[in-house]
Amino acid sequence: MVVDVNAFIGKWPYWPVPHSKFSQWGVDRPCICSTRSLFVHWEDGNREVEAAIKQHPASLVPFACLGTFETSHRAADRTHDLKAYRERGFRGIRLYPQHHSYHLLFEPFIDEICEQARVLNLPVLLSLRAIMNWGVPALDLHDMLGIVERHPRTPWILSGVNYLQEIRSVQVLLRRYPSVHLETSCVMGYEAIQKAVTECGYEQILFGSAAPIQHGRANLEKILHARVNDLAREAILFGNATRLLGLGSK
Amino acid sequence: MIVDAHVHIGKSTRLQIDVDGEHLVRVADEMGFDKICCTDLTALFYDMHEGNELLFREMKQFPDRIIGYASLHSTRFGTEALDELDRCANDYGMRGLKIYSTPQMSIAEPATIPILEKTVELDFPILAHATPHECEYLMAAVPECKLMMAHAAAQPFAQGDWNRAIMAAKRFPNLYLETASSTIDSGFLETCVRELGPEKIIFGTDIPLLDPYFQLSKIRETNIEPDQLGKILGGNILRLMGLA
Repeated sequence: MVVDVNAFIGKWPYWPVPHSKFSQWGVDRPCICSTRSLFVHWEDGNREVEAAIKQHPASLVPFACLGTFETSHRAADRTHDLKAYRERGFRGIRLYPQHHSYHLLFEPFIDEICEQARVLNLPVLLSLRAIMNWGVPALDLHDMLGIVERHPRTPWILSGVNYLQEIRSVQVLLRRYPSVHLETSCVMGYEAIQKAVTECGYEQILFGSAAPIQHGRANLEKILHARVNDLAREAILFGNATRLLGLGSK
Repeated sequence: MIVDAHVHIGKSTRLQIDVDGEHLVRVADEMGFDKICCTDLTALFYDMHEGNELLFREMKQFPDRIIGYASLHSTRFGTEALDELDRCANDYGMRGLKIYSTPQMSIAEPATIPILEKTVELDFPILAHATPHECEYLMAAVPECKLMMAHAAAQPFAQGDWNRAIMAAKRFPNLYLETASSTIDSGFLETCVRELGPEKIIFGTDIPLLDPYFQLSKIRETNIEPDQLGKILGGNILRLMGLA
């Protein structure tokens, strides 16, 4: 069993991405968000996710992407209700400030989302970068660290982390807060998975691939061959995610 | 035969690396790599003479496994650099050149031209950490040199734009793309092979900076034919180095 906590559906606007199935890469339960949420409108993307879930309810796990209500021509007239998203079946939340033109630390609605997520125990995936490619927008590391420090009891999934200083910083948060998790889709360093497990244990590390934009199988291989024991490997590949997302329950 | 065309040896606190030949050959054994083409970090970032000599010592310990790149920490050292290349070829038996470029200190400048001409004389392929624009400048100046664009633009100074790298390689017959990168975009290799043919793609991992397993998987777990994979995974680099 492999749970991928960071997969996508939808189109990729920058270059052609070949059509592939998650099962071909060995992923049983991809947690999906639509790229439409990043590039067009987050609410439209969430509806696309719901439609996909109806077709594949046994495999796909829905994450809702949330963004601003305010636009250039209209003030915000409502607030986010995470309970409603959970009732719609979403198992987690994703935030992409770098794609949605807001500052993570200076938007009140983000604090509301973090607080609701804490109360509901709904994981919030925050991406430093959607994929490990320098051509796509990236979030400032300090913003990621700052919002986690402000809301340390929110169940965080920190994604898109790769460089040494990024991983070292996130590892400090892992040691400090049991509610913080590291997702592996952009962790590309030599023996980086082994080092993370050695320094922080395996309970807060989750497999993610950013597939199909990134190569799903290649991303899985680095976990399958990481120098960690079987207990740690199984926890990273599915145990931790199953527990965090409540995949054993309805 | 699998040959890793992009391996680093030696020390760098900035990169948090301190590895010797024994460590790298052990990794190569685990990965099933027959040979590894190494560049010394001291030579690449500090002192070419000291670093290339250190690499030569490692090559002597593992003559069947380690192929040496002569490395230059700068292309602005004139005849001193040209003499160092002669020494690396004739005394050390190295088979290629590694050079590094940054936006602040680009190798796309006239000082690099005599270096490229020397590689033609020595029949050295060049592994250049350079952008597509920089490679185009260099290829236009010395079209007969054999230039491998390290990372195929999937590196920060080139904004990860490997599609742009393919366009550059299409323009110049002697411009090749090397695959090592922390980028693992789906369709990368298939697009490269479709646009350039398998002969212009060189497999590399960038160990011990990057995890070698996903580097190998992104090449193997594709719809590329086995004979084409054979060229990419080793045949091409051995041909360019005159070792095929």
